Amino acid sequence: MNALIIFVLLFTLMLTGMPISISLGLTVLTFLFTMTDVPIESVALKLFTGIEKFEIMAIPFFILAGNFLTHGGVARRMINFASSMVGHWHGGLALAGVLACALFAAVSGSSPATVVAIGSIILPAMVRQGYPKGFGAGVITTSGALGILIPPSIVMVMYSVSTNTSVGKLFMAGVIPGLMLAFFLGLTTWYLARKHNYPKLPKANWAERGAAFRKSAWGLLLIVIVMGGIYSGKFTPTEAAAMAAVYAFVIAVFVYKDMTLKQVPKVLLDSAAMSAMLLYIITNAVLFSFLITSENIPQAMASVITDMGMGPISFLLVVNVLLLMAGNVMEPSSIVLIMAPILFPVAMKLGIDPVHFGILIVVNMEVGMCHPPVGLNLYVASGITKMGITELTIAVWPWLLTMLAFLGLVTYVPAISLWLPNLVYN
Amino acid sequence: QTPIVIKFSHVVANDTPKGKAAERFKELAEQSLKGRVKIELYPNSTLYKDKEELEALQLGAVQMLAPSLAKFGPLGVKEFEVFDLPYIFPGKDVLYRVTEGPIGKELLKKLEPKGITGLAYWDNGFKVMSANKPLKTPADFKGLKMRIQSSKVLDAEMRALGANPQVLAFSEVYQALQTGVVDGTENPPSNLYTQKMHEVQSNVTVSNHGYLGYAVIVNKKFWDGLPADIRTGLEVAMKDATKYANAIAQQENDKALEAVRKTGKTAVYVLNDKEKAEWRKALLPVQKDMESRIGKDLISAVGKEATALGYK
Amino acid sequence: MKFLDHLEEWLIATLMASATVIIFVAVVHRYLSGLPIPVVQDALIRINTSWAQELCIYMFVWMAKFGAAYGVRTGIHVGVDVLINQLNTPWRNKFVIFGLLAGATFTGIVGTLGASFVYQIAQHSSTSEVLEIPMWMVYMAVPLGSYLMSFRFLQVTWAFVRTGELPKHDHSFVEGLDEEVAAGGKA
Ligand code: NA
Ligand code: NA
Repeated sequence: MNALIIFVLLFTLMLTGMPISISLGLTVLTFLFTMTDVPIESVALKLFTGIEKFEIMAIPFFILAGNFLTHGGVARRMINFASSMVGHWHGGLALAGVLACALFAAVSGSSPATVVAIGSIILPAMVRQGYPKGFGAGVITTSGALGILIPPSIVMVMYSVSTNTSVGKLFMAGVIPGLMLAFFLGLTTWYLARKHNYPKLPKANWAERGAAFRKSAWGLLLIVIVMGGIYSGKFTPTEAAAMAAVYAFVIAVFVYKDMTLKQVPKVLLDSAAMSAMLLYIITNAVLFSFLITSENIPQAMASVITDMGMGPISFLLVVNVLLLMAGNVMEPSSIVLIMAPILFPVAMKLGIDPVHFGILIVVNMEVGMCHPPVGLNLYVASGITKMGITELTIAVWPWLLTMLAFLGLVTYVPAISLWLPNLVYN
Repeated sequence: QTPIVIKFSHVVANDTPKGKAAERFKELAEQSLKGRVKIELYPNSTLYKDKEELEALQLGAVQMLAPSLAKFGPLGVKEFEVFDLPYIFPGKDVLYRVTEGPIGKELLKKLEPKGITGLAYWDNGFKVMSANKPLKTPADFKGLKMRIQSSKVLDAEMRALGANPQVLAFSEVYQALQTGVVDGTENPPSNLYTQKMHEVQSNVTVSNHGYLGYAVIVNKKFWDGLPADIRTGLEVAMKDATKYANAIAQQENDKALEAVRKTGKTAVYVLNDKEKAEWRKALLPVQKDMESRIGKDLISAVGKEATALGYK
Repeated sequence: MKFLDHLEEWLIATLMASATVIIFVAVVHRYLSGLPIPVVQDALIRINTSWAQELCIYMFVWMAKFGAAYGVRTGIHVGVDVLINQLNTPWRNKFVIFGLLAGATFTGIVGTLGASFVYQIAQHSSTSEVLEIPMWMVYMAVPLGSYLMSFRFLQVTWAFVRTGELPKHDHSFVEGLDEEVAAGGKA
């Protein structure tokens, strides 16, 4: 009963359009004021301690690093390198877009940022080459989603924070699914491009490829710093994020010189504001999950599900449907922070691996970002291409179907997520 | 009538010594007070995390906790850091003379102005050192990055050994050891084993250089407001639970050490007398350095208890 | 008012930068002090950087609280607006004002709860673990940040009632990208 009141209240408040963080907080306050004996002062305590955790600090650091990279010409150099490698196949520039998104995803923790960084450069170029606008937008909207699957990933940090799963393992687990999804998206692109006979780029020779690689190497080195740093034991994931921010600053300002020192304060301010927004959602989500644990809701859920005789297979199906539905109205961070504390205990009870469960949630979030009504990638792509959301939605569907099929694969073949982390850690 | 609810929150799993002791206390108390109290256990930080539970207790959001003794320093009662001092307790007998005697009672009294009543001390045990190289003499620590829990005393301890102390959350330790962010750590054997740290440490040295324990505490206002007979009933239950807690801590530590040995992958080394003397020589200055923080009288009072039991 | 705006911006940008530098220095220090260089290693180990993590956490918590207030002013907080965007303007406006006032109320209540919490904590002289800063000072971020946020919500409401305009953060906008697009045309 209490569970019902809590969720109805939350969804009603959310649908009025107020910030998600505020609706979470107000739900908790209303409930605490009227229905329990949990002292209301614990709200203030939780509002501070909710984010008092070093692991969470990876989020501002990754955002800062990402902003230095989007500002700098890192994306452009990655695109040039990608074009030199795959540009001569059918739909060359589009394939280069997929590859460049995968590369940029490996240095950035956010999907919309990946769409912005790669899309805003490659989409105008594609239109000039004679691709239909929708084709380019479809490729980049979906490939940009790789940003949260290929490590580093802000959404994975969020999942780790709300379930106490190791960030390092999650990052490692994202590598294979990320590469696979990039391959499938590329395959879809290639198939469509061959069917419609879209243009190819002239084939680059190895000297040109080498030169393009060298120019993009400073950006690519960040992959080594983050992943290499974590797995060689140089840094913890949060420290790796801080190192990435410093490194990205140095290459943007001093190596590529795409940015002047005078622009740095603005980048700091923007990153701080974006981080503060996410941290504010986290605080209120922590408060909310405190409420639902005090009300024993996860345990109740778990016993309902086991009483129904639901096994892992049907449970995971329900999880996917639930998350895809949530993806209609909310953005990933809030979904993960609200849903993970509820679903995770049940998943554990059914013997699902926490890392596999995390990857499955991330892939769900990727799908959610690419379809309307709420889909941040879609909005971003619409901003760049000046296409309407409806038009874009139609443009995106071939790749979205690919992603859904891939979601099924990741859901029921845990080895895709677990093989690499198990190899590295055992 | 409706029973009085006591929320007992802690940060470890149910199957750890502390978790088991909490369950035993719940059983004993509910049995003897026949439905007049209900103890609700919240293990695993389900309600409050390590960092917030003390404040939650002070606010009255939970009634009972069992934090590690090191938590009381930041609360403003630095005297509790005496338990962290290296080689302060030459044996369990000295420890119990302190915790069950006037010194322990005096220390718990110091919590009262903070709105806290201390009920009992629960053991976790003496600590072992671990790393990926043999640690026989203090020289072996040179330059090692050693994980500690946040504490000025432990920081000084590691520095006295020539190591480089690193504060890391308990939950992060396994991965940090595995990847080499830190080289080694100190733990009671049961923590080392349940966190599987031995999987990523090739060497364990039984040094018994330090102690880790808990205090069971309640919100003072809540406690003073209880009917006197209920308070007495709870105190009796706590006394029995404490006996159980200390016995089980010892058992679990012995079992854990044996299990680590059995894996055959981690070498367990017990310091001989000569080596132990070297460790003591390196670490005893920490006691002196910390006098100004913890209190000279308190440290020497503990020393006297040791002398009384025949240690020199 | 301009002064408050600048102070807010300056504070969060500075906290962001300093926290990054602090962690960077601490990591480099840990790395270097692990290298077996005689004398240098001893000197490095003697330098204590164990406060870095704690300070970074507190800086970011403060950044988060004040950044959230700045976010109200710049419209960065995301909400579920699909439904109300379907409504006609007068109704939509009512919901917008309701949402803004709900924000002001929530943050106002939290600010007050925070203030009373800080007051209670201040009675107990507890300190942070490493830096030993009084905890009530650290927790001041909650009342200060929340009251500021409440004030910002009221400010935005007032501006919306007067002009019908909301601050809107464009999540797809990246500064300096126009030049990038121009340069990318050559790709
Ligand atoms: Na990424
Ligand atoms: Na969506």
